[in-house]
Amino acid sequence: MTPLAHVLMILSLTLAVAGSLYCILQLYKAKAYSIGLLENINIIITLCYVVASCILFFGFWSYDFSIKYVHDYSDLSLPLFYRLTAFWGGQAGSLLFWALCLVLCGAYFQSTESYKSLSLETRIWYLLFYFVILAFFGALLTTHNNPFEILNPAPSDGRGLNPLLQNPGMIFHPPLLLLGYGGFTIPACLALAQALSQNNNTAQEEMAWHICTKPIILIAWLLLTAGIVLGAWWAYMELGWGGYWAWDPVENASTIPWFFGTAAIHFGFIEQYRNKAQRFHTLFMALTCISAFFATWLVRGNVVDSVHAFGSGGVGPMLLNFVIGTALVAFAVVLQMPNKGTPFSGLETKEGFLLSGAVVLITISIIIGFATLWPVISKLWSANPVGLQANFYNSIILPLLTVILALAAFAPWISWQQGLSHTKNFLVVLVTFIAFMGIFWSVFAVREPTALIAASLSLACIVSWILFFAVLKYPFYKLSPILVHISFAIMALGVAFSGPYKVEKEVALEKGQEIQIDTFTVKLNELYEGREQNGRYDFLEAELLVMKDGKKIGITQAQRRIYASFPQNAYAEASTIFSLGKEFYATFLGLDEKTRAVMRLSVHPLVNWLWIGGTIMSLAPFITVYACRRRKKTAQSTASSNSHHE
Amino acid sequence: MAKKSSSLFIVAFLLFAFGIGYMVWSGVSQNSVYFLNVSEALAKEQAQTPLSARIFGTVANESIERPQDGLGASFLLEDYENKAQTIHVTYKGVVPDTFTNGSEVIIEGSMQGTVFTAKTLMTKCPSKYQKENREKNA
Repeated sequence: MTPLAHVLMILSLTLAVAGSLYCILQLYKAKAYSIGLLENINIIITLCYVVASCILFFGFWSYDFSIKYVHDYSDLSLPLFYRLTAFWGGQAGSLLFWALCLVLCGAYFQSTESYKSLSLETRIWYLLFYFVILAFFGALLTTHNNPFEILNPAPSDGRGLNPLLQNPGMIFHPPLLLLGYGGFTIPACLALAQALSQNNNTAQEEMAWHICTKPIILIAWLLLTAGIVLGAWWAYMELGWGGYWAWDPVENASTIPWFFGTAAIHFGFIEQYRNKAQRFHTLFMALTCISAFFATWLVRGNVVDSVHAFGSGGVGPMLLNFVIGTALVAFAVVLQMPNKGTPFSGLETKEGFLLSGAVVLITISIIIGFATLWPVISKLWSANPVGLQANFYNSIILPLLTVILALAAFAPWISWQQGLSHTKNFLVVLVTFIAFMGIFWSVFAVREPTALIAASLSLACIVSWILFFAVLKYPFYKLSPILVHISFAIMALGVAFSGPYKVEKEVALEKGQEIQIDTFTVKLNELYEGREQNGRYDFLEAELLVMKDGKKIGITQAQRRIYASFPQNAYAEASTIFSLGKEFYATFLGLDEKTRAVMRLSVHPLVNWLWIGGTIMSLAPFITVYACRRRKKTAQSTASSNSHHE
Repeated sequence: MAKKSSSLFIVAFLLFAFGIGYMVWSGVSQNSVYFLNVSEALAKEQAQTPLSARIFGTVANESIERPQDGLGASFLLEDYENKAQTIHVTYKGVVPDTFTNGSEVIIEGSMQGTVFTAKTLMTKCPSKYQKENREKNA
C-alpha cells in the first residue's frame, strides 16, 4: 500500500504540472477555452491526496512501522487518538496534511455555484495559480519530504510521540494553522486570477473574488485565529513555564499570515462599501497565502535558531525560492491592475480608520518578520549574528496593537463621509476610556503606560461595539464583526494585565510549610508517588492547599511525570486554580536534596480572558458564514420562484 | 478637498513612519544580543569583555553538576561541531525538564573568560525526536 501512496504523490505532481501547462496553453491561445479536463484533473489530484492520506492514517492505525514516518512518530503504547493525530506530528506529515486541506478546499470551491458563475478565463487563471501551488507541494512531498519512505526490515516498535505533543491543545494547534493556510490559498489564487482576466475583457462583470470566497476567507481566518490562540493556551497549560507567548521565531511565524489576512479583510470592507483599494486588497490576500509559506520557511528551513527544533529536511531553499517567486508574481499582477483613480477620502472618515488599521496591521507583520529574521539580516554587517530579545517585541508590537485598539474603539462612530456619525456615542466611548484610565490608575495602581492605555481602551472598545449593536439595531447576521472586535478588546485586556503584572516565585517547600505569594497563602499538603492507571507514566505529585484571606479556595495537584516511552526526562504537569481574576498557577519542578518540593508558583491576573476572547473570536465569523449561505439560498429560491412566475 | 486630504495622508503617514522607525531603531539598539554558537563565543570573547549573548550548544556528557543547595546547575557547553571547544556555564534557577547530558540548549547571559553566567537556560523543544531516547530504553 505504501508504494501506492508514493505513486499517487508522483501522479499528483505530474498532473499538477500538466494541468498548469495546459492552463498556460489555453490562456496563450486565448479563445475556445475548455475547462472540463482541467476541473477533472483537479478532482483526480484531490482523490490522490485523500487516498494517500488515508494510507498514512491506516499505517498509524495498524502500527505499520515499515513506514518510516509511522515508526518515527508513534509506538505500540500510544493510544489510538494520538496515533491518528501523529499524522501531523512531523514535517513530512504536516506538509501532506496542509496539501490535503488545500485540495479539499479547492474541491469544495470548485463545486460551489459562485465558482460556476465565474467566467471561463477567470477560472483558468485561477486553476493555473492553484495547480502551480499543488505542483510545489507535489515536489516537496516526492523529494525531501516523502512521508511514505519505507524501512526494510520493518522495526518491531516505533520511536513514539513526544509527550509534550500528547495533549489535546497540541493535537489541534498545528492542523488548525494548516487548515487556515490551506483555506487562504483559494481566495489568493482567485484574486490574482480575476485581476488578470478582468483586465483582458473589462466589459465582463462577474462576482468579485472576495464575495465568491467570503465563507472560505472567514473560515480560514477563524481557524488560523483558533490555531494561534490554542498554541498559546497549550504553551501556558502544558509547558509549565507560566507564560503563553515568548516571541520565539516559531510563534512569530504563525502570526505573520494572520496579520496580513486581517489587513486584507479590512481592505475588503473598503472595497465592498467604497469600491476602492482593489489593488491593496488583492495584493494582501496574495501575501497572506505567500506568507504562510514564508512562515513555514522560517520554521522549517533552519533559518533562525529557535527553541523549537524541527528537522529541516532540505526544504529551506525550495520554500524560499517559491516564496520569492510567488511574491514577485503577485506584485507584478497587482501592478498591471488598472488604477481606478478614486483617491482615498480623508483620514477622518471610516475609510481612513479602516485604512489606518490595515496599515498598522501590515506594519506589525513586517516588523515581526524582519525582527525574526534579524539574526540573518545582521550578518550583512556583523561578523556574528545579532538577535532581538523578547523585550524588543513587547516595546514595539504592544504599543502598535494599542493603536489598533484605539482605532477599533472609535471607528464605529466615524462616518463614511467625514467626521463623526454619532457624536453622543463617540463621547460616551471617550468618557469610558478616560474614566477607566482614572480607575486603573487610582484603584488598581496600574502605572505601566501601555498597559494602562490598552486596558482602558479595551473597555472603551467593548462599550463602543455594544452601543454600536444596540443603537443601530443591527440585524443578527451582521453580528460577526461586532463580536470579533469585542473579543479582540477582551483579549487585549487579558494581555494588558497578565503580561506586566504576573507575579512569580520559585520555592522549596517542606511538607506542611506555608508560603505567601501575592494575595494567596499556599501550604504543601501532600507529596506522593503514583502510577497512571494504564501505566503510561509514573508521577510525583505535590498537593498544595491554596488559601485567600484565610479561606480555602482550592487544591492544586501539580505533577512530574516520567513516561514509559521516554524514561530519560521528567515532564511537569502544571496545575491551576481557575479564576477570572487572578489565576493561581503551580508547577512542580522536582525534589531537592532535603526532599523538599521545588515549585514554581505564579499568579496571572485576568489571563483567562485571553482564552475567552480567543474562543469568541474564533467562533464569531461563523455567523457571517451562515448568513452568506442563507442569503444565497434565499436568492436562489427567489430567482426560481421568479422564473416560475414568468 | 481631494488635495487637502491627500497631503494630510502624506503627513500622517510620514509621522507614523518616523515614529515607527524611531521605535524600531531604539528597540534594536537596546534589545540586541549576539546569537552565537560556542566556538564563535570563544573567538568573540577575546575581543570584548564581558560579553552578553545568547549561545547555542550541546551539554557535554557527564558534565552536569547540581549545586548542594537550591536550584540550578553547572555544566560544560560544547560546540555543535568542534567538541573540544567548551564553555563552563553556571546557572541558578529552575532547570528545564528536558535538560540532560547531550541535550541541545540555549543559554542567555554574560560571559567572562570561559565562564558563562546564564540568566536563562532553555532546552530545544524536541519536536523531532532523536534516536538516543529509544536506544537507552531498549
